[in-house]
Amino acid sequence: MAKRVSKPGPKLRFMKDQEFEDEAALLLAEYGNQHGQVTAPPIPIDEIVELYLQLHLTFDDMQQLFGVSDVHGALWVNDRRVGIDHRLEPTDNPSMLGRYHFTLAHEAGHWRLHRHLFLRRANQLTLLPDNVERPEYICRSSDTEPIEYQANRFASCLLMPREMVKRAWHEWRGSMDPIYLDDLQAKRQQILTAEVLRRGGFKSGDNAEANMLLEHASRPLAATFEVSPDAMRIRLEGMKLLLREKENLLF
Amino acid sequence: MAKKKPKQKPFGQLLREKRIEKGYSLRKFAQLVGVSPTYLSQVEQMNVDPPTADRVKRMAEILEESVDEWTALAGRLTEDLPAIIHESPTEVPDLLRAVRGLTGDQLRRLREDAERMKEEGRDEET
Repeated sequence: MAKRVSKPGPKLRFMKDQEFEDEAALLLAEYGNQHGQVTAPPIPIDEIVELYLQLHLTFDDMQQLFGVSDVHGALWVNDRRVGIDHRLEPTDNPSMLGRYHFTLAHEAGHWRLHRHLFLRRANQLTLLPDNVERPEYICRSSDTEPIEYQANRFASCLLMPREMVKRAWHEWRGSMDPIYLDDLQAKRQQILTAEVLRRGGFKSGDNAEANMLLEHASRPLAATFEVSPDAMRIRLEGMKLLLREKENLLF
Repeated sequence: MAKKKPKQKPFGQLLREKRIEKGYSLRKFAQLVGVSPTYLSQVEQMNVDPPTADRVKRMAEILEESVDEWTALAGRLTEDLPAIIHESPTEVPDLLRAVRGLTGDQLRRLREDAERMKEEGRDEET
């Protein structure tokens, strides 16, 4: 039998796409009942986390804390504490605004969806971790765990509520017609040049060019919702408002 | 037996509690005070010394708390105090030493007497 190299994590429940939408909408409604309904973007994620969920927000040097460079956020469930890497703090680093919002919403996702997996039971001292200072969730940009995927899906639905995105799209475009990748190809060179200048480089990898074109198209709504063009592109693709291929029509 | 004074909360903890109570997020409050949110977070976590007197004053004012109380809790002096001490460099420190250890009520009565004496002094002048 192969040696198990890590302890099995807590059992994660499978969630359907609609459940993420519902869970995020519920949190927004609960916040709204206490602090006033949110009817337009951007979503006040700082207030949701601190004032409604009553989580202690801290800005820390995650690289120093965990010894790796790509930790954006962490959640100490039993301390009700969310730590965000200070490099993402958007007052000091305005270009990080989108990533900051997403990281905070991601941690809120862990709190809402997963905290029960890690809450310390007062009468079961054996469940205490060896080092109580260690957070239950350390969220790195390189993570691909299902639990991180779920927190990302939640964050996307929370920061970009489906109905608000549809409304914003209609206001911007004048219709609910999607944007096709092909439509962007006509201005390909112009768009890519603008994006490379803005980003200071070209991201390599599969679909890098197509992503860049689609993210360029996502920028106006990304600004409205105060998320990154990357996060907005993924949401818009999920809602079929950005399409990579024209659908085959019968007529 | 004399009642034990309740233990005062550390400045950072009190600041965070009052900020949340008043409905300010960390970033919003930092913006109002004019400091970086990262710095404010470090203050709340008590990883750094409490802020300067003028910043503490601003924080207390926004949160509608006593400036003097918060300044003392932060281990700072309000900006008018050094000048007051310098005006009477022997008498004021002597007075402070003499009143040290009095109860809050005794100090209040003493202050009221001082205010009365100032009023009478003003009347005599006119």
